[in-house]
Parts: sequence; C-alpha cells; structure tokens
Amino acid sequence: MSRCDFKIVLLGSEHVGKTSLVLRFVNCRFNAEIPYQNTVGAAFCAKAMRSKEKDYSIGIWDTAGSERYEAMTRIYYRGAHAAIICYEPSSHESWTRLRHWLHELRTVEDSCKVYLCGTKKDLLDGGFVKREVAEEIVNTYSQDLNGHFLTSSKTGENVDELFQKIVDDLAADVEVMKTVTESRLLLTELDKRKSKKDVCAC
Amino acid sequence: MEDVLDEIVSSEDLQKFERVFHEQLHQGNVSHKAQFEYAWCLVRSKYPTDIRKGILLLKELFNSHPEGKRDYLFYLAIGNARIKEYNKALHYVKSFLEIEPANQQVLALERQINKRMEKEGLIGMAVAGGAVLALGGLVGLGIALASKK
Repeated sequence: MSRCDFKIVLLGSEHVGKTSLVLRFVNCRFNAEIPYQNTVGAAFCAKAMRSKEKDYSIGIWDTAGSERYEAMTRIYYRGAHAAIICYEPSSHESWTRLRHWLHELRTVEDSCKVYLCGTKKDLLDGGFVKREVAEEIVNTYSQDLNGHFLTSSKTGENVDELFQKIVDDLAADVEVMKTVTESRLLLTELDKRKSKKDVCAC
Repeated sequence: MEDVLDEIVSSEDLQKFERVFHEQLHQGNVSHKAQFEYAWCLVRSKYPTDIRKGILLLKELFNSHPEGKRDYLFYLAIGNARIKEYNKALHYVKSFLEIEPANQQVLALERQINKRMEKEGLIGMAVAGGAVLALGGLVGLGIALASKK
C-alpha cells in the first residue's frame, strides 16, 4: 500500500523532459552536464508538500516516454489522482502523442485530474527553437482540463507553481480527501498491529 | 517509503502478459516485446519462483537482443535484489553503469540495494544476538536448577 496521500503520474513522449521536470521539482536543480538518458520503465519520487497549512506527501511516477514501454506505462497511471501530460511546444509530434495520452486517460481513468505541461520554456523564450504547437490550440484543449503550465526545468520557472496547483486542487477535492483520510486511518491501524506483534515476538 | 524494489505487480496484469506470452509461445514465435513485458511482471511478483522465472527470461533476452540491453540489465538487477541475491544484483548494476556511468535511476537503485544489505546485515546480527541471549538464559536456568538440588 502506498504511504503517499496523492499519486501523480507524468506522461508524454520521449525526450520532452519529464525526468528533468521531476528532478527540478524534487531536488531544486537542473544538471546540464548529464547527457540525455531514457528512463527505464518508471521511476518513483516522493516529496512532502503543504496546502492551506496542512501537510501532504505526494508520490510521483515518472514514466518512460518510449513507445516500447507503452503497455507498461498504462499500469502506472492506474489509480492516479492527477496526471501531468508533457509536450514540447516546438515539437508537433509530442503534441500528437499528448492527445493520445489525453484520450486514453479520459476513457480509462475519468476521475483523474489532468494538467498539460509545455516544457523547455527557456529555449522558446531565447528563440533557440520555433513554436510548432499554436497557443490557441493548447488553450482550446486545456479549457476542459485542470490546468496548463509552460515550464522551464532549467530556470525552474512555473515548476513549483504547477505542483502546488495540483496539491491545492486535490486537497480541495472532497472525494479525493475522503479516500486519503481512509487510507491514512488504515495505515495507522496496520502500523499499530504491526508494532504490537513486534512486542509479542520479544 | 515505497520504492522500485517494493512495487508489486497485480495478478491481473501478470495474467494478462502471461497470456500473450503463452499464445506466442504456442505459435512458436515469441516477440522480444512480449517476453520482456512478461518478464517485467514476473520480477515484480511477490513470489520468488516467479521472480526466478523472470530472471531466466531476461537473461535469454539479454543474450539474444542487444538493442534492449540496458532495460534487461536494469530489471535483472531488480529481480535479483528482490530475492536477496544482492551481490548478483550489484553485478548487473555495475554492468549498466559501464554503459551509462551517470544514470540516476541506476545509481538510486544501487543505493537502495546497499541500504537493504546493511539493514538485513544488522537484522541478521540481531537474530544471532537473540539466540546467544536465549542460550545464555537456558544455561543460567540449568545452573540455577542444578544448584538448587
């Protein structure tokens, strides 16, 4: 059983920067020295966060973007409270892939909150790449969703804002909080039983 | 805290990928993908026999499909760590790091394996320590009884 209150999953085509986004958020840094590495399967990270003076632990599953892993990725978004679907504004291909994930989430996990995340904002701002995905299209798509952020893992711009919005939204959701309270109670109960057992064994 | 070594596959997922694998096996033509997906479920099973089977399938893939080498090495390390074959697991971690020395995922896995070895080493000692105490207690009781007579 998960000890995290909220499960967040990252989806999106390979090389859009899902892992860099998580590392920026969790470790507050971006390492330009490390060459690109394909994520194997999925990686897990946890972080403690606050929303309205209350503490929450969030677990983030960073999935592999490579299509080779698609069947496996499906297993990770199951039961997720929120999904961040990433794309690169300068890559039309990554946007097509985003639409694919969006469609799948909507049919399989309809209660999961969905956030769109355009990555590598610094490259766009600096004029190093050209926008291929029109802003109007993104806006139309994100209207029915829970949010859209344009982030830079290099500078950190909008990264904390994205995750803070997710935690605030989840903490304000009565249905989600009901299950969180239930699983917290269950875990405390299990821990109590376990510690009792430990005492008996001695 | 939950981590990649604690993750457990659901029985539905295991069965789903098992069915695909067996169908292909029956037709005499197993794809790398089907074998990998099945093996990936097996090494995340809670049963050691499943994990061992997964390890065998991954070893076979490692020898026959060089393009997927890094994936196979990663899950070979996970499978072995989960059946407490820590030295073998670390061996696969090292082979992976020879290809990609700075891989964060594998470096994190290495830390987790080392942590478990340390923790279980201490637990092992505590069990041995407990046995010594119990034995001491018995001897003491024996002496006490003997001296009473």
